[in-house]
Amino acid sequence: MLIKRSERHRSRGRLAGLQADKSSGSLDRRIFLKRAGVTTGALAVLGNLRLGGIRKAEAGPPPPAGAEVITRKNVCTHCSVGCSVIALVANGVWIGQEPDYDSPINRGSHCCKGAAVRDDVLSQRRLRYPVKLVNGKWTRISWETAIDEIGDKLLQIREKSGPDSVYWLGSAKFTNEAAYLNRKFAAFWGTNNSDHQARICHSTTVTGVANTWGYGAMTNSYNDIRNSKTIMLMGGNPAEAHPVSLQHILEGQELNRANLIVIDPRMTRTAAHATEYVRVRPGTHIATIYGMLWHIFENGWEDKEYLRQRVYGVDEIRKQVAKWTPQEVERVTGLPEAQVKHIAEVFAKEKPATLIWAMGQTQFATGTANVRASCILLLATGNVGHAGDGANIFRGHTNVQGATDLGLDVTTLPLYYGLAEGGWRHWCGVWEVDYEWMKSRFPNKTLMETPGIPSTRWFDATLLPKDQVSQPDNVQAMFIMGHGVNTITRMPEAKRGIEKLELLVVCDPYPTAWSVLSDRKDGIYLLPACTSFEMDGSRTASNRSLQWGEKIVEPVFESKNDYDTMYLLARKLGFADRMFKNIKVENNAVSAEDILREINRGGWSTGYCGQSPERLKAHMKNQAKFDLVTMRAPKDDPEVGGDYYGLPWPCWGTPEFRHPGSGILYNTGLPVKDGGGTFRARFGVERIVKRKVMENGQEVEKDEHHNLLAEGSYSAGSEIKDGYPEFTLGVLKKVGWDKDLTPQELEIIQRISSTNPDAVSWSTDLSGGIQRVAIEHGCSPYGNGKARMIAWNLPDPIPVYREPIYTPRPDLVADYPTLPDARQFRVPNIGFTVQKTAVDRGIAKQFPLILTSGRLVEYEGGGEETRSNKWLAELKQDMYVEINPADAVERGIKDGGWVWVTGPESSSKARVKALVTERVGKGVAWMPYHFAGWYEGTDLRAKYPKGFDPIVLGESVNTLTTYGYDPATGMQEPKATLCQIKAA
Amino acid sequence: MNFLARIRLVAIAVMLFAIAVIAPAVAQKLGPDGAPDPTASVTSERSLLKQMPRAEGRIDIPDTKAGVLIQPAGRSWDYFHEVLLHWSGAIVLLGTIVLLGVAYLIIGKIRIAAGRSGRKVLRFKAFERFSHWLTAASFVVLGLTGLNVTFGKRLLLPVIGPDAFSSVSQWAKYIHNFTSAAFVVGLVLITVIFFKDNLLEKVDIDWVKQGGGFIKSKHAPAGRFNLGEKLVYWLSLAAGVAVSVSGVLLLFPFYGTDIADMQLAQIVHAVVAILFIALILAHIYIGTLGIEGAFEAMGTGEVDLNWAKEHHDLWIARQLASKEGQREPSTTAAE
Amino acid sequence: MKFLCDADRCIDCNACVTACKNENEVPWGINRRRVVTINDGKPGERSVSMACMHCTDAPCAAVCPVTCIFSTEDGVVLHSKDLCIGCGYCFYACPFGAPQYPRVGNFGSRGKMDKCTYCAGGGGPEPSGSAEEFEKYGSNRFGDGKLPLCAEMCSTKSLLAGDGEIIAQIYKERVLKRGYGSGAWGWKTAYHEDVVV
Repeated sequence: MLIKRSERHRSRGRLAGLQADKSSGSLDRRIFLKRAGVTTGALAVLGNLRLGGIRKAEAGPPPPAGAEVITRKNVCTHCSVGCSVIALVANGVWIGQEPDYDSPINRGSHCCKGAAVRDDVLSQRRLRYPVKLVNGKWTRISWETAIDEIGDKLLQIREKSGPDSVYWLGSAKFTNEAAYLNRKFAAFWGTNNSDHQARICHSTTVTGVANTWGYGAMTNSYNDIRNSKTIMLMGGNPAEAHPVSLQHILEGQELNRANLIVIDPRMTRTAAHATEYVRVRPGTHIATIYGMLWHIFENGWEDKEYLRQRVYGVDEIRKQVAKWTPQEVERVTGLPEAQVKHIAEVFAKEKPATLIWAMGQTQFATGTANVRASCILLLATGNVGHAGDGANIFRGHTNVQGATDLGLDVTTLPLYYGLAEGGWRHWCGVWEVDYEWMKSRFPNKTLMETPGIPSTRWFDATLLPKDQVSQPDNVQAMFIMGHGVNTITRMPEAKRGIEKLELLVVCDPYPTAWSVLSDRKDGIYLLPACTSFEMDGSRTASNRSLQWGEKIVEPVFESKNDYDTMYLLARKLGFADRMFKNIKVENNAVSAEDILREINRGGWSTGYCGQSPERLKAHMKNQAKFDLVTMRAPKDDPEVGGDYYGLPWPCWGTPEFRHPGSGILYNTGLPVKDGGGTFRARFGVERIVKRKVMENGQEVEKDEHHNLLAEGSYSAGSEIKDGYPEFTLGVLKKVGWDKDLTPQELEIIQRISSTNPDAVSWSTDLSGGIQRVAIEHGCSPYGNGKARMIAWNLPDPIPVYREPIYTPRPDLVADYPTLPDARQFRVPNIGFTVQKTAVDRGIAKQFPLILTSGRLVEYEGGGEETRSNKWLAELKQDMYVEINPADAVERGIKDGGWVWVTGPESSSKARVKALVTERVGKGVAWMPYHFAGWYEGTDLRAKYPKGFDPIVLGESVNTLTTYGYDPATGMQEPKATLCQIKAA
Repeated sequence: MNFLARIRLVAIAVMLFAIAVIAPAVAQKLGPDGAPDPTASVTSERSLLKQMPRAEGRIDIPDTKAGVLIQPAGRSWDYFHEVLLHWSGAIVLLGTIVLLGVAYLIIGKIRIAAGRSGRKVLRFKAFERFSHWLTAASFVVLGLTGLNVTFGKRLLLPVIGPDAFSSVSQWAKYIHNFTSAAFVVGLVLITVIFFKDNLLEKVDIDWVKQGGGFIKSKHAPAGRFNLGEKLVYWLSLAAGVAVSVSGVLLLFPFYGTDIADMQLAQIVHAVVAILFIALILAHIYIGTLGIEGAFEAMGTGEVDLNWAKEHHDLWIARQLASKEGQREPSTTAAE
Repeated sequence: MKFLCDADRCIDCNACVTACKNENEVPWGINRRRVVTINDGKPGERSVSMACMHCTDAPCAAVCPVTCIFSTEDGVVLHSKDLCIGCGYCFYACPFGAPQYPRVGNFGSRGKMDKCTYCAGGGGPEPSGSAEEFEKYGSNRFGDGKLPLCAEMCSTKSLLAGDGEIIAQIYKERVLKRGYGSGAWGWKTAYHEDVVV
């Protein structure tokens, strides 16, 4: 398609002026030809040999003559930074991208993925129409047939085995609206088996951080790192995973001459820019943190006033830390005392200091404890709740934060409302469906209130004997919308799992590895989904900012957006009318705005209530007005005055209340109405600890009452100048502020609980009145509590160092074993047995290399989309393993040569190329996790639906990864296992 | 022209080769735990280029030559190509022509002293002549197309204009590339066919002593080939091998070669080609204008008996002797 | 017009590479811009984004046997694909490995050279911003008063494009502010000048 960019002619800038006027002196080809122009005559006839081959233009710029070029703004779908994408569209074709200098998040910048997103839509490798696998052949079918057949099969499974036998696996690439709808869909279907990538990404962060200070999210923002004096990255490689964040990190580091400390097993592209790089052994996070804390407590570098006012439980941490002497730290982590002391001193003294992490802390069987240890370090040094400090948790996908918030999770309903009756009643109230009807969708009330099976264990729930799975039957159908199979560990088991399923439905822009991994001959349906660029909707970046993306082009080929697919299926399954009661559906097209409005009506607990579609769209329109560092717009702006960019949650009250959002969580330096806050009083006002004490020579057990409210710390302008519990109508009455509620608000509160209106809280009050009143009195609706160093509801209330399940140091397992076997999330977790068996069998001798995995800048997640993008795929054409030169020499391995990597479970093996590099230390191998399409040396390309195979295929690292699950979240352990490598 | 500069260039080229083999010896600073410390030795371009001829690194696309970040030698190669080669090439070629002209003026055409006998002797068989002319023709084509790529933009472009010149050059490039095969074939044939007769003999010393036939009063003895011809043979062989090998490298760019190799190959190709052309100019001169009766040897294959006696007495003696002992005469009477 | 890659900012994210591919629809195998990592995984590791530097007194232009390479008044080095014969000399002369050739036909025989145009199209005779120009040379942002997309989209503002004096000044200020800088890579070779701080 040849098209012309005539529109662009009109705007000729300064440079153009210079260029146009080049008649004198300079050499322009036109003039040059003229000047040289003696007769070309006969000889020129020879000319223009096409031997040289000039390339053919594809569907790119310039636009067709006379076509209008429209500019549309969306958000890059490839990580959580939230870079704005400006698309130029002519005649419905996306013809180009322009930098969006107005966005305070990316200021025009992109990484290679963001700069190539146009091919996510144009890619010829996209799945074009629904197909199903019949006798090993992909057969084209219509959407109607697909929905009919799938719906019938689902209903049949439901009839036979109950709703829990269908697993709804959603996506972090959903918009907020689609994520919410997907969770709602699972609820209406009658199961809590609804999960998404957060499970394998930051589920441990959410659990660990929320259990520490209230909300499980990044406390500050990418931009705020510009204020930091010390930036410490432990378990993150943002240069590759979140490249645009480096703009803020590096500029901040330069402007403040800040310390940039990178603690990582790998000398990453991020580490290349660090002022200090510390190489650690994978999986020794807690030991490292305790090693730092040992020096901090030893030298009195902790922030004592902060600890007194805002933190609970430091004494017990001191006791635990005392065990981690420099000698012990060195024995476990290999880090010398001087180095640990140095980074501890810098972190504690050169404030504000921020701790940044990603999968390098979370993807462990001790993930939750790892993250909690990080929080404890931040609290001990008083580094939470100010500009420039905080836990800057870099999430992975474009909307993994939003999808987590919106409850695409086995343990919660949208916006962290629990699965207990209260949570269900809240949402039934918002959805305007009868609670009893909702209950009837589930096999029983117990299962309705029981967390589902995590995505990491779906195949165990399929393969284990029925009696070992705590639900009526095994998982028999997987309905997947935008989730890879190759990002989950233990792929050989996943392969068997797929083979045992009755039905596998993959709704994705690409066929994905789900379609080729197994030896199934039928029972797989592939439904073409469109990308988020082909639909409207909001997405929440890592910094909690919501950004509204507008549809750039109509869904390509026969693909449909997630809303419409879910609507069609809900209609087939018979609950569309109830589910879409308050959501406009026209010609089977669902209104994204209406879904967001419904979220706003129920999203009080997390402050998703103020971000109406209108406000979000105004933000996208007025991006240029937001400050680069504070992300705040000037107060006098008529549309977005005083707002933080993207109304980062919590954005309290109704949209009309015009809360600006919270740029920095728990920031007591600002009034709540300006985005300030306190630690959330989430864990009650008191903890009662039974303690044995000696009394009159006798040991007696006594109750100790520990107050969990903040002491003398409160947010600016607070009328209560001390800690306070979360607000309910009852609390308002106690302080006499209930009079400020409007009659309408009171009426709604009464309606929610006519029997006990005093118990209606800031998070269940659908009128928003309680929030409004609390904030107008300068108070956080959720109370003012202390952050917990002890999370007594977690398996390890105080983080305990535990060796990885497959550890290279079996000698340490006796001292630091993993937690005992237990049942969690409906399935057994036999980590202890696996670890013990591995030690007993001497696995570490047979598999002497630590295998850890991570992200490449060119690819994302399971990689189907990015490996199908011609501009990205060219840059990394082979799956590889990084191996240290010393290990390579021992094994006769050459850079670029083929090797077999073998794993300790399922006799797993993978054939990949070797990248011999000092990025990894001796004894460590590293592999990227984005590849699929090869399995144990076999190229599966022929198994893809013809023409829809990704450009680049390769072995998946998760073919080799092993058992290991975090007891609190079901998180897998792909960051520390063992392997052996030999030349192929 | 600037001889020193030329030496320097060759020296650089040799150095490039030498250093390319040695692994880059960058000083490594390690932290106390043995881990690399990225701030310890931030590499600047200047320090890097002091240690190595070019800045090279890792890149993941399959195009290995893309790993070379900066190679300042490109500028040197540019200098060689645009200054040294143009000037020295022009001087060598024009100088040769001038010298030959002078020789012609001074010595003139060396006639067959005894006059034509009218008797013809077969000097080169058909296949020998075919091999020669195959090589010669391809050489001329290669030489002209090669000269075009070097001097064309100075000489031809102003005359015919850029479009036409580009077309010519494009064709010239393809002709050059394809004709090279014919040249290599010819070179191999010539080498094999004439090898034995070009081995040095004692008589060659006498030939030099007697002035190589250029001094009319003296008689220079020679076998089938005199020392002058032998020199042409051996120099052509050496130059032919050099241009062929370097040419093949240029024809398959970056197959096992890197940028320095390619530059070197081009330098060798160009320099040798120029000298080769000069040599062949002399060869052509002697074979045509220089000596009466010489051209016929390669033209018809038969030379006049007297010419043979004067220029290749030992050879013709052997020929006649063997002819007498043979049934079939190898010489025939004219008319 | 010059490029300056601040290696202390470059993180090898390849945004410049795909931005270039996207903007100019550069086909597979042709890499007008690339990022090379020096001392990979070792102390002092630095990545540098490289394309045609649009040299002052460009060696490629000097050696071109058909003189198809020329500098515009703005110091952008462009070439004519109508005239190029694919001889490869510009690659030997280029200190930065910028010229690219589609592989066509026999041996390693090269097609017409392709390289970074500074997103300034072809410089004529195809009309500026026309489909013909785009097909041969890619986008003409320059004509719209815009800078090359690689620099505009650089994730960390490492790659600077624009008037040489201005970007040198930006770089100097950066180095003074942060106290270090590994230099303006390639400047001495390309422009016979260095950014001295």
